[in-house]
Amino acid sequence: MHVIVATDGSKQSLAAAKKLKSFADPTKITDISVIAVIRPLASVAFADELSGGSTYAAGPETSFRRAAEAASEVVAAVFDGWGPTVHKRIRSGSPANELIKAAKQLDAGLVVVASGGRGLSDAVLVGSTAQRVQHYAPCPVLVVRPKPRQRR
Amino acid sequence: MTQADVVTADDEDNGLRRSITGKQLFFYTLGDVLGSGIYVLIGLVAAAVGGAFWIAFALGVTVAAITGSAYAELVTKYPQAAGASLYVNKAFGNKALTFLITVSFLSASMAATGSLATGFSSYFATLFDDGGPPALLVSLVFLALLAIVNFIGITESVVINMVMTFVEVAGLLIVLVIGVWFVAQGKADFGTLVEVDVSGDFGSPALAVLAGIAFSFFAMTGFENTANVAEETIDPHKAFPRSLVGGMLVAGLVYVLVSMAAALTVPVDTLAGSDAALLEVVKQGILPVSTGFMTTLFSVIALIAITNTTLVTVVTQPRILYGMAREDVVPGVFAKVHSTRRSPWVGLVFCGAVVAGLLVIGTLLTEAGAGLDLVNRLALVTVVFLLAIYALVIVSCLKLRGRDETEKTFRANTPLLFVGLVGNLAILGFSIYDDPTSLIWCAGLVAVGVVLFLLEYFFGNQTRPSGAERGDPEVVDEKGA
Repeated sequence: MHVIVATDGSKQSLAAAKKLKSFADPTKITDISVIAVIRPLASVAFADELSGGSTYAAGPETSFRRAAEAASEVVAAVFDGWGPTVHKRIRSGSPANELIKAAKQLDAGLVVVASGGRGLSDAVLVGSTAQRVQHYAPCPVLVVRPKPRQRR
Repeated sequence: MTQADVVTADDEDNGLRRSITGKQLFFYTLGDVLGSGIYVLIGLVAAAVGGAFWIAFALGVTVAAITGSAYAELVTKYPQAAGASLYVNKAFGNKALTFLITVSFLSASMAATGSLATGFSSYFATLFDDGGPPALLVSLVFLALLAIVNFIGITESVVINMVMTFVEVAGLLIVLVIGVWFVAQGKADFGTLVEVDVSGDFGSPALAVLAGIAFSFFAMTGFENTANVAEETIDPHKAFPRSLVGGMLVAGLVYVLVSMAAALTVPVDTLAGSDAALLEVVKQGILPVSTGFMTTLFSVIALIAITNTTLVTVVTQPRILYGMAREDVVPGVFAKVHSTRRSPWVGLVFCGAVVAGLLVIGTLLTEAGAGLDLVNRLALVTVVFLLAIYALVIVSCLKLRGRDETEKTFRANTPLLFVGLVGNLAILGFSIYDDPTSLIWCAGLVAVGVVLFLLEYFFGNQTRPSGAERGDPEVVDEKGA
């Protein structure tokens, strides 16, 4: 089975990768593709909060592509020595669309996405990546939610 | 398994896929340039030059297209998102200069947003018989909506971008059709097209045309924002020169034809006195269609056109701050992105606040009787910043010749670059000579950047990559560039 692990450079996406590793059976998984999607027309096309930013330059040299590579590097490292072959892929466009397309192309058996926020904005604003992937993916989707801040 | 099993594919099929095609880049350029001024500024240009004001547009767009070719050459060498600051940094390696250019670019973008937002409110008012809600309120709400749209990420749709560009072009086509119709009826007096008004402030024809170029130049700007998508463009070596320069030339052709149509159909005095000058063309009732309907349609199109261009500027500003924050020259909070939306919301709010400040100050000054035309003032401030940046980009382009070149690098025509440099400097010189007070506004905007730098310098934490010096853009990258 080919598993897609999406990363948007957030800590939550790293947590999602770890979640997969915590329960899945590595002998059933042949390949893992870590996919980072760059959004060319966004203010910040890719924000890497994982690698500490030491592998690419800042300022006028800002390269969102290298930021995406650095983040997927960190997420891929989660699966080091686990079993499945790990691929890193950078795509560009709308994250949800690109993940769904990738899932079709790679004939994926599972897509792992993080559903980031726990704040008000998540409740108010519709159309997040995780939601769209759930609706349109050609395979099962694992949505890893953040832990609630406190129990109500 | 070990690191050796990690496969990084490096081809289009499954590895590092890029998404912006040459065609999309062309429409991005066209939309960005077309929306930025002709809807707003044509009256002022007509006032300066007279019936022959199409010449100002033709010359202005030529200078801008040459500058565009310098950008195209530099983009093919350094396909990163940063644009002018990156090129100047490569050419001069001077941190202070790079900082100044980055802040200037940010300021230009903010002033442009202010001018466009004010232009938006002018056209918005034409939808109402009684003038509608207060202009300042409309501008501020417009700004707030754009910031929200940017935060959510709707701006990222390439399709919406294309649709808006088509609408923009359609609006200008309406003006052209009216012009052709008028000419076909045999009512046109072509003598108007060669009339240069020397009775006004500018005594000689050459000076009047130069003034026209300076006033119209805001309409030529915007193409520099295409560097934003450089990194994500498929085959940038081919796509950039074609799409950037091609987009500019098409925009120039449209401008010239629209200016001619406007000059032929509407008395120049009427154009000169109007806030929404292109609307006057539609209001002449030349087409056998209800004038009321056409006026409303055209206003809506103008609003969409202005929105399209403003969106790009609103997206660009937080991106600049993001880069600067990572470099530690402004507070690190600008490098924070929202956890779900991945948008730099602090930067968005900050930029919105600065532009709102510009609008409020401008409106207060106007009401205090300073005789200020806010659209033109902010457009002029934008143009002063951008002309200086354009000139420096051309110099950087020439200075970087022979460095980082491959056989795929696009090479701009060298004699033309010199012409472009002289052109940019001439327009810059005139703009400052004509209205020295614009420098005060420029200084005010640069001061915002300096304040941010000082805040970071005295109170900031280190957010830059380890081992990097403050403000050092050339850090720690072994494999890149």
